Amino acid sequence: MNRSLPAIALLIGWTLVLAALGWYVQKDLVVGTDLRLFLPSPTTPQQRLLLEEIGEGPASRILVASIAGAAPEILADTSRALVAALGGSKNFSIVTNGEMSLDAIPDSLLSYRYLLSPTLDTQPLDARYLHDQLRARAEDLASPAGAMLEPLLPRDPTLELLRVLQNWQPMHEPNRQFDVWFDGKGKQALLIAETSAPAFDPDRQRAAIEELQRAFASLNSDGTMKLTVSGPGAFSVLMEGRTRGEAQALGTAATVGMIVLLLVAYRRVGPVIVSALPLASAGIAGLLAVSLLFDAVHGITLAFGFTLIGVAQDYPMHLLSHQRPGHSPLDAVRELWPTLATGVASTCIAYLTFMFSGVVGLAQLACFTVASLAAAGLTTRFLLPHLIDTAGRDYGQSEFLGRLWRRIASLPRPLWAAPVLVVVCAAIVAFVPGSLWENDLSKLTPVPRELLLQDQQLRSELGTPDLRYLLVIETGSSEQALTQLEALDAPLRKLVERGVIAGYDHAARYVPTAAKQQARQAKLPDDATLTATLQQALIDTPFRADVFTPFLKDVQEARTLAPLSVEKLRDSPLGASLDLLLTPRERKFTALVTFAGVEDPQALRQLATTAGSNAVLLDLKEASDSLVAQQRTRLLWSLSLASVLLVAVVAIALRNTRRVIRVLAPMALTTIVLVAVLHGCGVPMTLFHLIALILAAGLGLDYALFFEHASDDPHEQRRTLHAVLVCSGSTLMVFALLALSSLPVLRAIGVTVTLGVISNFVLALLLTRESDPMAGLKHERPAA
Amino acid sequence: MLAATSLLIQTAPRARAAELDAAALIQRLARPAPATIDFAEVRFSALLKQPLIVSGTLGYAGPATLDRHVTRPYREDTEIRGESVRVSREGEPVRSFALKRAPELSGLLTAFTALLAGDHDAVGREFDVAATGDEALWRIKLTPRDARVRKRVPEIDINGRRDLPRCFTIANDNGGASVMLLGNAAHLELPQPLTREWLERECASPDA
Repeated sequence: MNRSLPAIALLIGWTLVLAALGWYVQKDLVVGTDLRLFLPSPTTPQQRLLLEEIGEGPASRILVASIAGAAPEILADTSRALVAALGGSKNFSIVTNGEMSLDAIPDSLLSYRYLLSPTLDTQPLDARYLHDQLRARAEDLASPAGAMLEPLLPRDPTLELLRVLQNWQPMHEPNRQFDVWFDGKGKQALLIAETSAPAFDPDRQRAAIEELQRAFASLNSDGTMKLTVSGPGAFSVLMEGRTRGEAQALGTAATVGMIVLLLVAYRRVGPVIVSALPLASAGIAGLLAVSLLFDAVHGITLAFGFTLIGVAQDYPMHLLSHQRPGHSPLDAVRELWPTLATGVASTCIAYLTFMFSGVVGLAQLACFTVASLAAAGLTTRFLLPHLIDTAGRDYGQSEFLGRLWRRIASLPRPLWAAPVLVVVCAAIVAFVPGSLWENDLSKLTPVPRELLLQDQQLRSELGTPDLRYLLVIETGSSEQALTQLEALDAPLRKLVERGVIAGYDHAARYVPTAAKQQARQAKLPDDATLTATLQQALIDTPFRADVFTPFLKDVQEARTLAPLSVEKLRDSPLGASLDLLLTPRERKFTALVTFAGVEDPQALRQLATTAGSNAVLLDLKEASDSLVAQQRTRLLWSLSLASVLLVAVVAIALRNTRRVIRVLAPMALTTIVLVAVLHGCGVPMTLFHLIALILAAGLGLDYALFFEHASDDPHEQRRTLHAVLVCSGSTLMVFALLALSSLPVLRAIGVTVTLGVISNFVLALLLTRESDPMAGLKHERPAA
Repeated sequence: MLAATSLLIQTAPRARAAELDAAALIQRLARPAPATIDFAEVRFSALLKQPLIVSGTLGYAGPATLDRHVTRPYREDTEIRGESVRVSREGEPVRSFALKRAPELSGLLTAFTALLAGDHDAVGREFDVAATGDEALWRIKLTPRDARVRKRVPEIDINGRRDLPRCFTIANDNGGASVMLLGNAAHLELPQPLTREWLERECASPDA
């Protein structure tokens, strides 16, 4: 390290600027995990609905929880206490264990009960009916429930409110023990919690889940019971935590490995410290650029962005390897710069194409990459040389590297192997069965299989909505939506009877159409008639004649009420679940029919065809597959454009067809080899494989450029060999570590780049040099 | 009516004896589980012209469990297990609710099962206990310790003779009350019209 005063001042200044920028960036850095950022904008209504449903839909907000590990009575009590504890929580719109509560309906809605209950559809409020009801109420009063019902009876002798609440229960009633939901075996108490945050908001999901766990922990002081929380939100929290944890562990291992490697390669501490500065500059520049251009940095951008260290680290290493005693680092960097700049520029231009891919996540990634590679390149060129010690080793003097170079030089140059390789790879891709592409969106952040099974089991016990099929109706008004839903109710009930589905849910189950409410209203008798009917009904009952005045008053009030609207119910505590079933969206209303326990999707498709032209059966899987395919098309277009630009940049820099081919061949072949190897091993490619391919290509280009650049000066050759060995060694180590990850995203990147580094290195050695390296390496330099 | 009640209570048994040792009394009431006892329940309510009367058996199988089988004038079964109450009547869907929603029933359950277990401490946790009378004819007054419960259930009175409880009287905040006649008392000839005063007198009367 250069210990002169200006150098130390530069070192301190640089560090301070980085620290300040780093502080500024992290201050309001928002890390998002919404996978939708990595999907293209939807083109079909199904895709648009999918994107809405993925993040906001009712199914995605539902967490199912189970409590196990104690006697059923205790589990039931705990379940109850948990619901009570989370009652007023901001994190949850509903937490329920199935227990019905008469207090669930706010007072202002009480008088609507005759309009909401189906009783009047089939049963007039006549004397005979009222008499039977009053007799039944007398028995209720003498039962242990008596004291509880007594205050309610003067107002509601037919217990209409209870019927309304019963109708609002899930259709596919789960098993109950001690009044709360249990699994079929009676070993687990079950609850449903609907979060206010969408599934892809892991911060708020985590807050919700933590609140749930805290509330449970305070009820489980002896620790014998076990709470399991499952659902899209819980998974996104879990996966985010695991990704973060694993990325951190791998990052630490990579850092340690890198330091060791640098110490071995340069035998001094100085280079390790100085080469960290361009790297840090790269990271901070990337983050700064993304946070300035975008609202939130996606976790994937972040994770992937930092793997670019694998590229950015190479720049200072080239300089360090080419540095020799007595030679000014400024001269060394000037000699290197044309090659380095070609590498940086071509990689940046290739990534720039992603900016216009129409996929926000990719644009972020491109932005991050371009900013960080440019920062690493520029700081290596303009700042780093001032910090480097002019003393130290000259790798050009290394006997070992000299022998190695000569051995490499004597390797055969099987140029014929290139076309053979292409043919073999093409054959693998063409003839090995299996899908080349991964269309399943969920495979990107897959949830462990046992957790998915457990989730499925809990959902089927509870009858919570199926995550795949939804019937979506778009209308101009909520009344229109309710009318259509009401018309669908009978066919839906038939599907339940046929066992095609276990249950269904829609907004008209909660709010009947205005027309239906008015029809019920018309059946309510006027005051005089009802008073007379009631007097007749009271004969032969133990009730006093004057106690039911509130009932008479309520019925009269109900006769003149404006029908209960979705909007009015939405403002009540019951509104949360309704909101998700009937949502206003830009002058339109989207109504959902959710299904539970779907056995026969074909029957649902048939239902959808009869439901009206504005109704669509949304198969979330199908829509997501088509979205992924569309995303890939855009990505491949970007890739093609990127390769054209890459060739152009290299061609402009080298201005010699043969040199251009020699430089590009290893990279192009490597890409083909990688695709074939992945396919041959049965790994369908995802977005991340493709991005990793570009990363590998960028590395390959750098190696080839440097090999090609190596002059016929044996010292210079050894320095280049040293640089490329250190660079590829460190990159290999970082990505081999990633390849060990259990997380598919990290593994995809790791495996692809690891293979890419090996293939690029070998192919660059075999194909980039001219046949006689000692004679053939020219003094030509790429143009700056 | 209230004045008449207090007058009766003051004149009848209390005059004869000083404070009783409640713990010792409750211990004597212990019955090994399972135990079954006949009952007749008379329910007074402001909504009713005349009280409702049902009768049947109470089954006690251990703490926090109670089965109430009504056999007359119709059949109805109630099962209390922990916090859960299920009421089923012929030809009607089972109705169930949480015990905490029915403080009256909860009070009865705690008092009844704790007495049958002879567990004075269990009673004492939920109620202030005061016993009056003598061993032959006694009265235990339970006042809920929890103010919210006390608002719904001001007090529970238990009348008994020797080691047998005879009446459970639970008043509620609606101005109504439930009087549970136990054992032999369940088979009393009830007069028409039946009043609370008559029942109170009967509950506090010594052996014939």
